[in-house]
Amino acid sequence: MKRQIPLLIVIILGFIFAIHTFVPHKASADFYDWYQTWIKALSPFMVLLGIMSLFMVNTAKIQRKIPGWQYSVITLLSLIVTGAVGFIWGTQEGTPFMWLFKNVQMPMGATMFSLLAFYIASAAYKAFRARSIEATVLLVAAIIVMLGQVPIGMAISKWIPETSSWILNVPNLAAKRGIGLGVGLGMTATSLKILLGIERTYLGGGD
Amino acid sequence: MAEQKMNFFDKMQALDRRYIYLVVALAIILPLVIPFNSRTYVTEPSENIYKKIDSFTGRKDRAVLMCFSHDASTMAELFPMEVAILRHCFQRNIQVFTICFIPAAKPLMDYALQTAKEDYTVQSGVDYVNFGYKPWGIFLPIVLGMGDDVAKAVETDDEGRIVSNLEIMKEIKNYNEMNLVIDFAASAAVYIWIEYARARFGANVAAGVTAVMAADNFPYLQTGQLIGMLAGLKGAAEYEKLVDVFATHKEMVNGVETVVPREFSKEVIKDSWIKLSDIKNPVYKTARIGMNAQTVAHIMIIVFIAVGNIGYFVNRKKNKN
Amino acid sequence: MSFEAISNFVAAFFTLSIFSFLYKDNPFYKFAEAMFVGVTMGYAIPLVYYNTFIPFVYRPIFIEHNFIILIPALMGSLYIFRFSKNLSWLSRYPIVFGMAIIGMGVPLSMHAYVLVQMRIAMMPIDNINTFIIFVGTITILLYFFFSKAHKGVYGKITNIGIWYMMVGFGASFGYTVMARISLLIGRIQFLMGDWLHLMK
Repeated sequence: MKRQIPLLIVIILGFIFAIHTFVPHKASADFYDWYQTWIKALSPFMVLLGIMSLFMVNTAKIQRKIPGWQYSVITLLSLIVTGAVGFIWGTQEGTPFMWLFKNVQMPMGATMFSLLAFYIASAAYKAFRARSIEATVLLVAAIIVMLGQVPIGMAISKWIPETSSWILNVPNLAAKRGIGLGVGLGMTATSLKILLGIERTYLGGGD
Repeated sequence: MAEQKMNFFDKMQALDRRYIYLVVALAIILPLVIPFNSRTYVTEPSENIYKKIDSFTGRKDRAVLMCFSHDASTMAELFPMEVAILRHCFQRNIQVFTICFIPAAKPLMDYALQTAKEDYTVQSGVDYVNFGYKPWGIFLPIVLGMGDDVAKAVETDDEGRIVSNLEIMKEIKNYNEMNLVIDFAASAAVYIWIEYARARFGANVAAGVTAVMAADNFPYLQTGQLIGMLAGLKGAAEYEKLVDVFATHKEMVNGVETVVPREFSKEVIKDSWIKLSDIKNPVYKTARIGMNAQTVAHIMIIVFIAVGNIGYFVNRKKNKN
Repeated sequence: MSFEAISNFVAAFFTLSIFSFLYKDNPFYKFAEAMFVGVTMGYAIPLVYYNTFIPFVYRPIFIEHNFIILIPALMGSLYIFRFSKNLSWLSRYPIVFGMAIIGMGVPLSMHAYVLVQMRIAMMPIDNINTFIIFVGTITILLYFFFSKAHKGVYGKITNIGIWYMMVGFGASFGYTVMARISLLIGRIQFLMGDWLHLMK
């Protein structure tokens, strides 16, 4: 019963939603209004999961004194301080909360991903090899697109941006459409499996 | 002699990655510190967004919704386009809404609004509204709810005001009036708008995406499911240029330099040339300055690929022998 | 030193701490990484409280006295049992309530990703480009049909699909290089411009 009742809720509500897509009746609209109000009231609690998970992982590390546990202390302290600052001074522009975001979270978040520029350059030098005709086609297409995006491509020849645009709009489009059709069918099938109660992994383990 | 050459290529193949990192850093630092003017050409997907937004000029029964679906990690690409679009809206008296569904996007949204409105006298609730942050779990219900009633779907704005009471909402009901949604994404968020807002309500959807995702969106551009797209830093540079050339076009009126907006024209944009040093506010040219460094970096990557492959083929020949 | 300069110094310190990973893993990077995770999550708590708990839970219940909202609010609080061994089944209720909207996803994803794309793929072939797109779409779809061995004439046809995909992946790769470089440009613009004032 611990699994069956939730599954039944998904199936019943899911089918009502499927019908709602096609039926513009008032009862259908009222159903959506009701759902909207309830799901909004439920939504603030979703974030609890993430916070609890972070707390549990880090407190366990500290308790067991796992190597590098000191960094878990920093994580938890930062979490508490940032949260407290937000509650004390508010979250609007000009508050210490925003200062923390702009000068601590934002630079680190942006820099973390910018490291990829170095890695991709290193990979370009060490790994991108024209080992086969297919790989050569990939590299040539990549080089034309790369040149076509930057001003120097246009400066070299107007054909470079034009060829780049053709690659994107014709063979690339065909490739992405072919792949996309498969993905689209897969997505529809997955939704259908959830709706029919065949796909249940999102319910988690246990009874 | 031949053996010495091979050794050289062997050494090149085994080059410490940190030297490569150093070259990358220099390739980006130098063009930024030593600026030069480069010409950004404008592509059709960017033009289409500009034209659509510009068609709302001065209309109270039209609005643009900007959905910020990214965090600081992709800010370098997406933030300049967000500021450029907001500038366009503020300059042309176009009503604009902002919303986000991930916490880390909220301060970027505030920051973009703050940056764009510096040079304009615009009022929250009258010229624009920041709907604020809503949890990801209600992204879909809000996207669908907006098809019926925008104010009811979002309920309150970032300042806690009831949205339906705001002056800006007087003539805005649903996607018929909020006639363009632009999602700025580093994820698949834009597809939610395509799948639900476009498919169910026929909403006009456009994308401001990181370049990583750009190539995947061409099928949607062809079908019209996306009316336009800004792709990465180049897309941002294109929009900055469009705003400078048309929306904030300057002319001498009675000996005084005055902003005289003009309609979009393909011929004008094709031949237009704006000197970056003439633009005083650095925020308005961030992407175009970045494109200089982008040019050098792309050439560097192509050289890396070429040198790496030369070494590879020389070694392969040696091994065969 | 102005307040702005101090702020930029702090931001630059964290930027360089993350960059230091390029040399090798080190305590500065680990410190910054740990702080990043904490600040990011800590940031979400007051935001969720002010932007969702107050308008969607507190206001309807305590100001508008719409007590029916207590039901979804209580259902939402069942999320906390997700990590309990014996009571984790309770957390399924809020999960399935949110999941139910997938019912709309079946017809709409079919429409958006399959039918609309198929319709345009079936448009009359009126120029060389539409022909090339048509051939590409068909050969890629055939490539992903694994019930028939990719041999002989069929294998040659699916090979065309591979070529198309290579061009597509090449385009994606070209764009990915651009994206990654752009992110680095953003950080260097901050370091050279806002922090060191070396950019004109």
